Amino acid sequence: MKSFQYLAPIPGFDYLVPKSIPELFRALDVQGRKVSIIAGGTDLMIALKERTVAPDVVVDLGRLRKELGGINSAGGVLRIGSMATFSQIESNPLIARYANALCQAAANVGTLQIRSIATLGGNLATASPAADSAPPLIALGASVTLASASGHRTVPVQSVFAGPKRNGLRPGEIVASVEIPVNGEAWSGWTRAAVRNENVLSTVSVAVASTMHNGKFGTSRVALGAVAPTPILGEKATIAMTGAEASAGTADKVSSLAAQDSTPITDIRAGASYRRRLVTVLTRRLIMKMLSEVAAR
Amino acid sequence: MRGKIKVSFTLNGEARTEEMQPNQTLCDFLHDEAGTTSVKKGCDTGECGACTVLLDDMPVTSCLVLAPQIDGRDVVTTEGLGTKSAPHPVQRAFVEQDAVQCGYCIPGMIVTLSWIYEHLPGASDAEIKRLMSGNLCRCTGYIQQIEALKSARKSA
Repeated sequence: MKSFQYLAPIPGFDYLVPKSIPELFRALDVQGRKVSIIAGGTDLMIALKERTVAPDVVVDLGRLRKELGGINSAGGVLRIGSMATFSQIESNPLIARYANALCQAAANVGTLQIRSIATLGGNLATASPAADSAPPLIALGASVTLASASGHRTVPVQSVFAGPKRNGLRPGEIVASVEIPVNGEAWSGWTRAAVRNENVLSTVSVAVASTMHNGKFGTSRVALGAVAPTPILGEKATIAMTGAEASAGTADKVSSLAAQDSTPITDIRAGASYRRRLVTVLTRRLIMKMLSEVAAR
Repeated sequence: MRGKIKVSFTLNGEARTEEMQPNQTLCDFLHDEAGTTSVKKGCDTGECGACTVLLDDMPVTSCLVLAPQIDGRDVVTTEGLGTKSAPHPVQRAFVEQDAVQCGYCIPGMIVTLSWIYEHLPGASDAEIKRLMSGNLCRCTGYIQQIEALKSARKSA
């Protein structure tokens, strides 16, 4: 446990609130000074209090909630602005319909009070291995648009994660939006294990997205959270599931391969071998859930 | 800029402009400077919910918000939900149902439950429990508070 310096105020910093995207990129051009971006702030505020970050400049995205927010669907792509909150994601009918795994994960982030302000972009940029939005996005084949003064680039979700609490963004770059390809036939789901039901980081989280046709799984992805330095695509599991017979036997095989894909550590939440076992159990549970839900359609 | 910055917001319906230190939490600002002493600092880490306020009509833990983040926004504390003579239905029900023991968690609890009352009148017991999981009470154990919400609904 880290200790909090309750009585001492957070050390001072310059505070900038850009009112346009060009102004934002000028604010982020800090000439070697340490900059932190505050979106929802639910991770940054803890880090400021713990003194794990001590920025010279804090850039507040609060005035760019319109420019960097919103959830819409066009041209077969579901686009979620980085400033969309987990409450907005949890209650959005497009996400419930086309990205159900993300909807379920969003509903389990933190608490009502956290979900009210915590943003999707912040969850990705903080780059926790346990970031609950990441496995659903990886399973859904989402990409992330990063923006900077020199333009945009689109990267896979995994590229935003460089290591535990270390993102792959370049200096002066922000998460602008997330794009999820829409497939009306696809099923997706998310589940997790944690030491209690609410207000806790996931010990292990798993997301699966797939389609089913003529008794076979189509393009499938199995993604895992909190079992590697970053959220990962379970490659062996993904390959084994794609094109396989839609059956309990496949669920057994894929879920044990998912455990092989994981490289968990032992920490305060769980031991490595228990986490590996959870990967199998949770992956199997999701695939069995898909089989019964698709059969009931 | 380092040093105080000017922030305009509404607090409990009243338009205000204040000079604020950017490194101050909204919780500390509301309790220590704005006069809304119902806002309690418990854990100071977004776990306990004692400092819950409405920010643009969403419940937030004010210890996880920097004070100047409320610029241009609307803040409501328990003081803004009702008065002694005209309490919010949830405030009245807390009294009637003895849903208070030591009282420290109550302002935040009332903010969350009044939000559920206003926005999710059909929320099931399970949904109410899920939504109030960010408000910890170490005395009464939640049942009286859920009963208070339900009794407020009935007398609506």
